[in-house]
Amino acid sequence: MIGVAAEFLLFAERALRAQLGRFPPIDVLVRQTYQAGVGSVALLTMLIVFAGLNLSVQSYATFERFGGQDFLGMFAGIGGVRELYPVMAAVVCGARIGANLAASLANMKISEQVEALEVMSVDPMRRLVAPRLWAVTFALPLLCGYADVVGIASSYVGAVYQLGLDGGTFMSQLHEFVGLSDLAVGLFKGLVFGWIVALIACFHGYRAAKRDGAEGVGVATNRAIVHGAVVCIVLNLAMSWVLYG
Amino acid sequence: MKWLLDSIANVGALAAFFGDVIGTALTRPRYVGETIRIMWVLVVRCIVPVGLAVAPVGAVISLQGLELFRMFGLDRLLSSLLGTAIFREYSPALASVMVAAQAGSSIAARIGTMRVRGQIDALAVMSVDPMRYVVVPGVIACAVVTPLLNVLTNVLGVASGWVFAVPLGGVDHGAFIEHLTAQITPADLWVGLGKCVLFGTSVGLIAGHLGMRVKGGAEAVGQAANDTVTQTIVLILLVDYVVSMALLGAGL
Repeated sequence: MIGVAAEFLLFAERALRAQLGRFPPIDVLVRQTYQAGVGSVALLTMLIVFAGLNLSVQSYATFERFGGQDFLGMFAGIGGVRELYPVMAAVVCGARIGANLAASLANMKISEQVEALEVMSVDPMRRLVAPRLWAVTFALPLLCGYADVVGIASSYVGAVYQLGLDGGTFMSQLHEFVGLSDLAVGLFKGLVFGWIVALIACFHGYRAAKRDGAEGVGVATNRAIVHGAVVCIVLNLAMSWVLYG
Repeated sequence: MKWLLDSIANVGALAAFFGDVIGTALTRPRYVGETIRIMWVLVVRCIVPVGLAVAPVGAVISLQGLELFRMFGLDRLLSSLLGTAIFREYSPALASVMVAAQAGSSIAARIGTMRVRGQIDALAVMSVDPMRYVVVPGVIACAVVTPLLNVLTNVLGVASGWVFAVPLGGVDHGAFIEHLTAQITPADLWVGLGKCVLFGTSVGLIAGHLGMRVKGGAEAVGQAANDTVTQTIVLILLVDYVVSMALLGAGL
C-alpha cells in the first residue's frame, strides 16, 4: 500500500518533469484532446441532463418541507456549478477517458512497445505520457463548462415544466447568486481533476507488466476508474474546504 | 440512424436477458454456496472505495448548504437537507456507481474471460447451465450487497456531514440531531434501500449480459468491463430520475 503510494509519487514527479519539459507536438496533442473530449460529449450529455433534472426534482422535495421551493434556482445553480457538475464530469470522464488511457498504455506495456521506445532512446514519458496528460488537462475544463450549461438548462426545464415553478424567479435567483467566481471555481476544479485522472490512469497503465498478460490490462483499467473517482471526490472536498470553509 | 437501431437492439437483448435471468433464478437447482462466495468477494472489494467515495459528499453538502442557509438564518435546518439528500439520493446513487465501477467491471471481465477461454462452453458440455452457475449468482450478489453497503454509507455520509456542521461549522449539536430525527422518516430509508436493490440488480444484469456477449480476445474483455461501467452509470442516473419523479408524484 505505502509502496504503491511511493511509486505513484515517483511516477508523478517523472511525469510532471516530462510534461513541463517540452510542449508536446501540436498534432499529437490535438488528436489526443479530440479523442478525450469529443468522445465523451455524448455520454456526458446524457448523464448531465438527468443529473440536472434530478437536482431540481430532488431538492424541490427537500425544500418543500419548509416552504423554500423558491430558492431552487439558487440551490441548483450553486450546487451544480460549484460541486456536482465538475465531480460528475471528472468521474464520468475518468470512467471513459481514464479507462481508455490505462488500457492503451497497459496494452503497449505488455506487448513491450514501451521498452522498444526506450531502446530507440525515445523517452516514453515524454512521448506517451506527457501528451495524454496535457490533452486531458485541456479537455476536462471544457467538458465542465459544457456540463454547467447543459445541467443548468435541464434544471430549469425540470423546475419550470415539471414542477411548475416560476421561470422568472429561477432565472433571477441564478443571476443573483451564481457569479463568475463560481464558474471559475468549477472550471478550475475540472482542470485539477483532469490532470489527476490522467495521471492515475497513466500510472496504472504503466505499471502493467508483461507477465500479467491480458488480465493486467483489465486490472489496470479497473483501478484507473475506481482510484480516479475516489481521488476526485476526496480532492473536491479538500478544494471546497479551502475555498469556502 | 444505425446508432439508434443498435441501441434499440441492445435494450431489447438486455430485456430478453433479464427475463432469462429471472426465469433461471426462480427455478431449481440453485447454487447458494457460489452466490455467498461472490457476495463476500464483492463486500471485501467494494467496502473501501464505496466508503471513501460517499463520505466526502456529506461533508460537501454541509459545507455548501451551511453557506446558503446562513443567508436566511436557517442553519439549524441544515441537517434536514443533509439527511434527506444523503438517505434518498446521494448515498444510493453514488454507492451504486462505485459498485458498478469496482464489482460490475470485474464481474464482466471474469465472465468475459471465461467465455474467451471456452470455460462457459465447457460448463454447458458438463450440463451445468452457465446462466445458472455464473450469471445468476452475480446478479443476486450485486442486488444484495449494494443495499448492505448503502446502510454503511448512510452512516458515513451523515457522520461526515455532522463533522463539518457541528465542530467545524458551529451548528448546535442538539439542533442538528433534532432536525435530523424529525425530518428523516423510515420512508426515506426504505426509498434509498429500494433504489439500491434496483441499481444493484442492474449492475449485475449489465455485467452478466456484456460479459456473456464477449467474442474474441483480451481486448473484447477489457471493452466489456469498460462498457459495463459507462452503461450502468447512465442507467443508474436515468432510473434515479424516474424514481424521484414517481415518488414526488406519489407524495412520498
